[in-house]
Amino acid sequence: MAYIEIKDATKWYPHKSGKLRDIFRKDKSFVKAVDGVNLSMDRGEILGVIGESGCGKSTLGRMLTRLEDPTKGDVLVDGVSTAELIKKDPLKFRRTVQIVFQNPFDTFTPRDTIQKILLRPLKHHKIGSSKEERLEIIKKALEAGGLVPAEDIMQRYPHELSGGQLQRISIIRAMFLNPSFIIADEPVSMLDVSVRADIINMLIDLARNHDASVVFISHDIALTRYISDHVAVMYLGKVVEYGTADEVINNPKHPYTKALISNCASIDPFEELATIAIEGEPPTPINPGPGCYFAPRCSMACEECLKKYPERYEVSPGHYACCDRIES
Amino acid sequence: MKAVLSKCLRAFKADGQLRFGVIGVIVLLLVIILAPILAPHDPYSYEFVRLLPPGSEDHFLGTNHMGQDVYSMLIFGVGTSLKVALISALISGALGVLIGGLGGFLGGWVDQVVSEIINIFLMIPTFFLILLIISLFGNSIANVMIVIGITTWPGNAKLMRAQALSLRERTFVRSAVALGETKTQILFKYILPNGIFPVVANTTRSMAGAILTEASLSFLGLGDPNIISWGQMIYQGKSYITSAWWISAFSGIAVILTVIVFYMLGDGLNHVLNPKYNYGRSK
Repeated sequence: MAYIEIKDATKWYPHKSGKLRDIFRKDKSFVKAVDGVNLSMDRGEILGVIGESGCGKSTLGRMLTRLEDPTKGDVLVDGVSTAELIKKDPLKFRRTVQIVFQNPFDTFTPRDTIQKILLRPLKHHKIGSSKEERLEIIKKALEAGGLVPAEDIMQRYPHELSGGQLQRISIIRAMFLNPSFIIADEPVSMLDVSVRADIINMLIDLARNHDASVVFISHDIALTRYISDHVAVMYLGKVVEYGTADEVINNPKHPYTKALISNCASIDPFEELATIAIEGEPPTPINPGPGCYFAPRCSMACEECLKKYPERYEVSPGHYACCDRIES
Repeated sequence: MKAVLSKCLRAFKADGQLRFGVIGVIVLLLVIILAPILAPHDPYSYEFVRLLPPGSEDHFLGTNHMGQDVYSMLIFGVGTSLKVALISALISGALGVLIGGLGGFLGGWVDQVVSEIINIFLMIPTFFLILLIISLFGNSIANVMIVIGITTWPGNAKLMRAQALSLRERTFVRSAVALGETKTQILFKYILPNGIFPVVANTTRSMAGAILTEASLSFLGLGDPNIISWGQMIYQGKSYITSAWWISAFSGIAVILTVIVFYMLGDGLNHVLNPKYNYGRSK
């Protein structure tokens, strides 16, 4: 059985028009941020989640860490529901599941030094028995993460450090708790290209050497391909294609994935790419459907597509796509 | 501890307003401590030389209609003003921070209830309420302080609520949740420390307001009659304003100076308590 199982995870936000009739209306409308996502992961696996902004990637990430409760569905870690885990022992759940946020400049309280910030989770989770021991742990971890001189960094305030340093500290802090499931919510999108590699390598090291499952949320397709074992493509709250990274990138089946990948810049400037243009904005996630959510913008859409949401097909072993019009 | 001290010193050197405010408060405190030495007369003693103009021998700011020495009264009035300012501002600050912080941080129905309570308090004409309570429960100085405190907290609460509302969406609060910290810990370690500084600055300024309110109450004859306060002096001098201006004038100047000191302190604190404050260095 898979280590992490995401079962029909759904997050609907009630949509308010701000008018008085909201109160009396029975058929409430919802923003379907995440709409029935099914995924599974093994230990030590990196799952890349890609999609354009607003497709529910970050909401999915927050749901996995239980920063938000799902409207429907559940996430199982090692066969146990996270809802139960967090009720039974919230601290243990937090030690199991950790998140690295997108904005490193805002991940730490601006009023405390790095030392204070890093001491807090150690104390809270009773790691190390004395302050001296905890300081020693922090120092070692910072040095291992390439943040030298550690003593100097520990005395600094977050705004005195660079984004790359802060993001490394953020990962180090998550690693203190020795988590087995890590969500990285666009961890490098706010960093310079030059420091991205460090962060990526830290995450890969986490998965490979600490046997942790990593969800890597990103909109950078090339990067996702490099880091992940499997890739899930999201569109408007649903996973439209899932498979191994190479398979999905090299042999995309869903028209949305095809369009995404065809628009991805190649390193070879002379390579001819037939880009597939998608017209229009993504439709609003307020009560979308019926029919395929992508149909209004899809180049291959036909009448059938507008009637019911397509089923999930296994294109090749382990490679799934949600489209009725896949040419085999 | 040493680091904190040196930082205070650097901030003190760099910010002119803070320097003015701190020195002003220290002077006021010294005046309170040294009052018996500084004042040449007992402000409660009544002499026969009444309505003596300033510059007279022995009473250089003159005397009032009861023959009390105006200068000595001013000196002893500092204590009253500072006491009123501090205690009422503390009450107002503590109430505002806790209620506003809770409302903004917890959100949902708690926030709605808190917001409505704040709005109700903001709607009530404050000064009228103060008058009402004072006339109902008597005009002791303790009553005055408490009443000023519980009528001025909504401003602080609104500030704190807005801060908490925006802070709880910040990544560091979310990451604290993800690290397993409890709601109480987050409120006291992240929301309050990061959101309290506008309130601190506002509270220092509302100290100035409290001094003025106490003066206004005394001016209307609702102050504590057993205590010497500047407002009381202005009130008493009112009837003699055409013949003996010095009774009201000097106490009025004293009120203005003290208010300015607290304003400066509040403003200076507001600058310096920002962690990104660069101590006068250019960017």
